[in-house]
Amino acid sequence: MAPKVINVPKTDPRAYNPNRPAGLLLRSQALHMREALIKHVHELTTLLNIEMNSLKTEADISAYVHKATALLHKHSKKPAKK
Amino acid sequence: MSAGLDNLKHIVVLMMENRSFDHMLGSLKQKYPKINGLTGNESNPDTNGAIVKVQQKAEFQSQLDPDPDHHFPGVDLQIFGGAPPGPGRAANMQGFVKDYFSQTKDINRSHNIMYYFDAEKDLPVLSTLATEYAVFNGWFSSIPGPTICNRAFAHYGTSFGQVGMDIFYILDTSIASVYERMVQAGRTAKIYYYDQPSSTMEIVNLLKNQPQIFGTLDQFISDCAGNTLPDYSFIEPCYNDHPGPDGGQILASDQHPDHNVREGERFIANVYNAIRTNPTLWQNTVLLVVYDEHGGIYDHVIPPVCTPDGKTASADATGTGEPFAFDRLGIRVPAVLISPWIQRGTVVPGTEDPVNAKIFEHASIPATVTNFFLNGDAKRTVREQKANTFLGLLTDQMRQDDDCVVFNNLQ
Repeated sequence: MAPKVINVPKTDPRAYNPNRPAGLLLRSQALHMREALIKHVHELTTLLNIEMNSLKTEADISAYVHKATALLHKHSKKPAKK
Repeated sequence: MSAGLDNLKHIVVLMMENRSFDHMLGSLKQKYPKINGLTGNESNPDTNGAIVKVQQKAEFQSQLDPDPDHHFPGVDLQIFGGAPPGPGRAANMQGFVKDYFSQTKDINRSHNIMYYFDAEKDLPVLSTLATEYAVFNGWFSSIPGPTICNRAFAHYGTSFGQVGMDIFYILDTSIASVYERMVQAGRTAKIYYYDQPSSTMEIVNLLKNQPQIFGTLDQFISDCAGNTLPDYSFIEPCYNDHPGPDGGQILASDQHPDHNVREGERFIANVYNAIRTNPTLWQNTVLLVVYDEHGGIYDHVIPPVCTPDGKTASADATGTGEPFAFDRLGIRVPAVLISPWIQRGTVVPGTEDPVNAKIFEHASIPATVTNFFLNGDAKRTVREQKANTFLGLLTDQMRQDDDCVVFNNLQ
């Protein structure tokens, strides 16, 4: 016997309204995204402000590259699944 | 341990937005008396003192604009009917119409807050899942307040003392999110948001754990089909109307007023079908569909007290003139648990049955995931440690394939 099948009604296409004023939840989401961006900018600015000539040792370079790689990884695309 | 629990490999949680239990499922009581819904006699006074009964007149869209108040002071009014905070006041769920009038300034429109759906006719997906699997009579939002702090309980088991919309816990590392706990223990966990234009409400994890614990709905569908679903998945609906990548129209599916409720129905059906149509996944996955909070819409059940989480929101933060010790839950929301190992028509008793009641709230989500996958081994709030877990609903008997519903017409 086949399972019970329930047809799900379509949504009225007139429901689409991208010009609807954004509510508090969506405005909060945008504000929180901005906070997240500020944190990234702070991290990026910190790294960009490091004077290259100040990196003297392998340990200096290692620390810098570590932070830069971690930051760049945040923005990299997810690797394709094998 | 039940055979259903023995077979369990995946927990999936879909959290929708801003609808109360009675508004969505209250009508089911007429046909299913064990479901603690509406008799039709529940009422609120309006600002003229007239008695406004609940009415089966809810519509998919356009009825709840402006967005009903669901911030802490508004919910306090809804629960206590306007009695000022202080010793001895009693919850009575009599302030919903009054509160909505403060926004609409229109007596007739303020009555809309008492409207509910004919669930079997209007909401074939949610009502079918509720009656075919398990529905909770006593699943409450964690805080009598808005989205972000309530969703925090689903991710962390606490809101870190907050009752509003701030991303307050951004620097608080005392409690790891359930995703971090899983990953640190070598398990897998993902938050699937709808797409990038909709993104996530869980910004803190986006900051700390991008991209390893995030995916899109398309990836969820693909992971279901390819048997690559993580141990734990949390799904977010589409939060806004926006153009699709091919120029089409993508509708918000979160059911947040004033988004179309029917599109949310279709979204829930899509998530369910992604699991249901993979026979292997279907047998070893449990799906919880739950709403983050009531969205200011009427429910008749008084929220019960709960284990405090050791935090206190100040009187300034609550906006009521009184501090809040996180010792009382928010308003009741729809919650449905789905698995072939759950018997049809399961109704989990709530406050209407004090002897057998099992009360749930969003801290039950990380509690369940952490107990099942990590044997409870994580630093957690007392609130989460005391929260009821929901996998006890899985039985020894797996229902046959032809005994489990599928949804159609979703393309």
